[in-house]
Amino acid sequence: MTSTARVPDHLDDDGLQTVTLTVNGSERTVAVPTHRTLLDGLRDEVGLPGTKSCCAEGECGACTVLLDGKSVNSCLVLCVEAEGHQVTTVEGLSDDGLTDLQEEFLNAGAVQCGFCIPGQVVSAEYLLRTNPEPDEVQIREALSGNLCRCAGYQRIVRAVQATAARRSER
Amino acid sequence: MTTAPERAIEQRDALGEPSDPYPQGQVGRPVLRYGGGDRTSGAQRFVADLRFPGSLQVALVTVPVGCADVLGIDTTAARAVPGVVDVVTAADLPSPMPRFGVSHTDRPVLADGRVNYHGEPVAAVVAKTLDAAQAAARAVRVDHRELPGVYTLDDALAPGAHRVQEPSLRPGHALADTNVLEEAHYAWGDLEAEEARTEVVVEETYTFPMVTHFPIEPGGTVAVPTDSGGLDVYSPVQHPYLLQRTLASVLGLPLNQVRVFAPDPGGGFGGKQNPKLEPLLAFLALRTRRTCRLVLSLEETFQSMRRAGCRIAARTGFTADGALTFHHVDADFLIGAYADVAPRVMGKGSYVAAGPYRIPGVRIDARAVMTNTTPSTAFRGFGSPQVSWALESQLDAGARRLGLDGLEIRRRNLVAKGEAFVRGESAAAADGEWHQSLEKAAELIGWGTPLPPGRGRGIAVGIKPGATSGLSQSLVRLLADGSAIVYAGTSDMGQGARTLWQQIVADELGAPLDQVSVVSGDTGTVPFDLQTSASRSTVFMGSAVLEACRDVRQRVLALYAESTGVPPEELEERPGVLVTPEGELPLPEAARTALGSLRGEFIGQGTRRLRGKGKHPLGGDAAFYEFNATAIEVEVDRETGELLLTRHVTVSDVGTELNPLQVVSQDEGAAIMGLGHSQMEQLLLDEHGRIRNLGALDYRIPTFKDVPVELVSAAVENHDGPGPYGSKGISEGALLCTAGALGAAVADAAGVVIRDLPLTPERVWAAIQAAEAAQ
Amino acid sequence: MTEYHRPTSRADALTALAEGGARARPLVGGTDLLVGLRHHHDVADVLVDLKGVTDLPEPIVVTDDGVRIGPTYTMGELVSHPVIGEWYPALVEAALTVGSVAIRNRASLVGNSCNASPAADTAPPLLVHGARVTISSQDGDRTASLDEFFLGPRRTLCGPGELVTRLDLPRPAPGSASAFRRLTRRRGVDLATVSVAAGVGPDGGLVVGMGAVGPRPLRTAVPGPVDLTDDASLDRALDELLGVATPITDVRGSREYRLATLRVLTKRAVLAAADRRDPREMAS
Repeated sequence: MTSTARVPDHLDDDGLQTVTLTVNGSERTVAVPTHRTLLDGLRDEVGLPGTKSCCAEGECGACTVLLDGKSVNSCLVLCVEAEGHQVTTVEGLSDDGLTDLQEEFLNAGAVQCGFCIPGQVVSAEYLLRTNPEPDEVQIREALSGNLCRCAGYQRIVRAVQATAARRSER
Repeated sequence: MTTAPERAIEQRDALGEPSDPYPQGQVGRPVLRYGGGDRTSGAQRFVADLRFPGSLQVALVTVPVGCADVLGIDTTAARAVPGVVDVVTAADLPSPMPRFGVSHTDRPVLADGRVNYHGEPVAAVVAKTLDAAQAAARAVRVDHRELPGVYTLDDALAPGAHRVQEPSLRPGHALADTNVLEEAHYAWGDLEAEEARTEVVVEETYTFPMVTHFPIEPGGTVAVPTDSGGLDVYSPVQHPYLLQRTLASVLGLPLNQVRVFAPDPGGGFGGKQNPKLEPLLAFLALRTRRTCRLVLSLEETFQSMRRAGCRIAARTGFTADGALTFHHVDADFLIGAYADVAPRVMGKGSYVAAGPYRIPGVRIDARAVMTNTTPSTAFRGFGSPQVSWALESQLDAGARRLGLDGLEIRRRNLVAKGEAFVRGESAAAADGEWHQSLEKAAELIGWGTPLPPGRGRGIAVGIKPGATSGLSQSLVRLLADGSAIVYAGTSDMGQGARTLWQQIVADELGAPLDQVSVVSGDTGTVPFDLQTSASRSTVFMGSAVLEACRDVRQRVLALYAESTGVPPEELEERPGVLVTPEGELPLPEAARTALGSLRGEFIGQGTRRLRGKGKHPLGGDAAFYEFNATAIEVEVDRETGELLLTRHVTVSDVGTELNPLQVVSQDEGAAIMGLGHSQMEQLLLDEHGRIRNLGALDYRIPTFKDVPVELVSAAVENHDGPGPYGSKGISEGALLCTAGALGAAVADAAGVVIRDLPLTPERVWAAIQAAEAAQ
Repeated sequence: MTEYHRPTSRADALTALAEGGARARPLVGGTDLLVGLRHHHDVADVLVDLKGVTDLPEPIVVTDDGVRIGPTYTMGELVSHPVIGEWYPALVEAALTVGSVAIRNRASLVGNSCNASPAADTAPPLLVHGARVTISSQDGDRTASLDEFFLGPRRTLCGPGELVTRLDLPRPAPGSASAFRRLTRRRGVDLATVSVAAGVGPDGGLVVGMGAVGPRPLRTAVPGPVDLTDDASLDRALDELLGVATPITDVRGSREYRLATLRVLTKRAVLAAADRRDPREMAS
């Protein structure tokens, strides 16, 4: 019996596709093979490795970014699909320093190994933009696609609650 | 007005008396995580985020079965793929095949004619792009013949079973011709005599599944050949110095030619302790003379690390009033195809198979059984969760027979501080007031208060031995302006070690917290640390850092005396200050004065060494024990078997909380990880030894929605640990007995006792069905 | 090398699909397609992105007679649409179980049907609510009920060169209602072990859509009235409704467990749907 390992079929890098997209407010043009995901494009071509790769099948949420303002798993979006669209990564949530949400993640003790945190922060930011005063059940629901193996879940919920409270005071 | 972090833990503080050994200092305060800003902003660089221009990408070639002879490998087509630089098989490596391992030198750099588990690489492709490497890996033809591999304990222990390990790897060993790699035996007391005075005997068998670490960072390795013929290796490894030694050994290089850079692991949990694929990457880099990079997929990570499964047959006796009389345990640990550290997991886990109890007669026989599966390795809890599941369930079974409840039977058997719970030659005694944790957990769960129908409660305790030997060395530099740099080799994988070093140095040298930086993760610049494991770092490296600070203070004192002419005997150094005849001087000021116009710095060195005991089965007495009491309240849907955890309380005996915010994070995290193996996690194999639920779609870990409705983490602080300021390690406690507490709660709620983990909805449903059918 | 097309017209999309034949797939959310490609469960190498097509049916059109949904309408849009929530509550309940928020922001309702997973969460309520699909190709359009559309695991009436351009949901009759129930291995995001949607009609008849208990999503019905206050009559109805289920044993659950819980969930869904009926509109 003979077998071979399972790997993608796409053999060569010829025929790269040029993609122009807006990342964190700046227009960027990259050349990628068509099978390359937005996650790959952001990390390898745009040079923004803050967005993380784990399961590569939309189950863990580590690669969450905002696409035209909506949270998506960037591992399940082809880079070519992002042509002409706006992408916000964790690096683009703030022009300078940490956002209030990121500060509250620290304050709540929500950050342990940190690998899932960029995805958590982006998902939580999306939640707060679409539902500024979420209750605990809504927070858990909204973030249930973001796995944290350090399991800082309860700390993250507190961070989102604290941010919502801060924002409502403004 | 409280600060935000204080708000975050005020619920916890309300639970007990917060203690503050340094009322004015940083230790004991919820100081924010060192490096936390980078971790939230996306600036933190994990190994896959590092850029190596011009590096080659590596893809692994495997065969789709768990056990096979490799008859031939045809790399012709793979070599023809554009961009491929090299395709390496066992034939391209030194002969005999270099092997490595922590407890046995049994693991080959590449499969050597025989595949021993699904996912074991038989070849590696090196190419200019990842696409080319993966395409070429797909084009490698591996002619192989599947063998009747052993994938379960019964398979492996059957007469005539396929032998996982070549007997020649254990020449002369009594067990060389079996799949039992090692055994451990502990016994004390007279079991027959104890049984004679026993009222109730409970005899049952329990199983604990194979589970995988599932770090969110899958990990990877980059090997860079240096101009001097050595290597720089980047790996998110928990033990950089062990990796350095292993690589030097298989490559035949001196230690100074192997420099390990260890970017912070994105979650380790034990899975990133020991070398796995790094030696292969090292050979590839030396062979190609190019930088070689391998970033693992999550599936490959599943095939690289897991916890040993376990089957435990237990026979336990109780007197009429619930006192334990004897406990007889046979524990078979289902380890994998290579030893890794699994024999030690078996030996150390089974050492506490009789738990923190007063049991006059004990016999423990444990075996590490090899199978054709992913090599099992260290995983938070290190063998204790497996044996605890059986023991705690046995206590509840005894309690039910005797009409006692889960709290009462533990009250009657739990040892007091100083009392032995392991007897015989290698005895061990309680090093904490463990009853306090039990009582606190009972109080916080509302033990004994009425519950609505369909709900139940369970309570359990667990212990785990800390490190039994160790060596941590640290350097602290106090710079001329009063800022400081700590060199400490502990890997910061989320537990927050660097934050503690910052807190300690701030207090001990009087430096502002934000002017203390920490250097780690580089064997070329940071002194030796044996390992980051067994929740040891607070105790071991913490003590080394503390000692280095004292060394700095003594040097400041000496130089201050020399440069000012004040006799040294009129000076005294204390944390943060130099006491002079004129009064207390902040240490940075004293240092400035001492250094004078030439400036310079003070360099302090600290070492914490715990020598093992040659005769001790664990290699020495544990530096401390982690103790935890967990109580769970659960609601059971009798028609579907679904569980709703309404309240989960964890209380750990922590000695002193050096940073309460980090203690809460670790404790809650361990509790939820414990719920993973208790409720949903298990690696399922097919008849070819392949993982059926390989990946995130069907291997389930807890999510936000799986966190109990209420999760309460509390601590008992008696300042009785061996670490700085009376601290102990705390990172594993809350998962040691999660399963026992949950199992007892389900039994209380639904009237069914389940002895196999995880307690999936289907298992609970099936047990309820069986119970109803039996009525 | 994967070919990627982003046509702007329906005609161009159909041309690209026709030329790609069996190797071509329409792409909307990609949340199933990209996973399939990564694992080589799917070998398509011509992807036709529909998100730039300007002359496809509108994402959603509500009329007095029902709702028309276009191929690019996402789960995220669906779950917050007030009319969908009022008319097809089981569909919203089901859509809310599809993956995570980020998945739902991308995944399309039509794509979930076209992927034809036996465990597709939205299939049971769509079956209960009598969904029909329009299948288009260069040769023209044809329509089919969703029940006819599902052929088997990952197989539908939609063949090479074809595209589902529209999904129609009739407006529920007054006095009817629906509900959805699902069983998973954990509470957070998970694939269904069993899923079921139930509808109670104006006459008290029952219709059930089932997921993960057969090679394709299943639909059955019993005429009304069924006396839901009488255990024996409800049990008889369940016997009749659930007899078609042929679940298998896999990593998510055993056949036996699926059969037992299918019955439990169906009963719960039926009673929940009945509770939702407006008594003023009931025919019986």
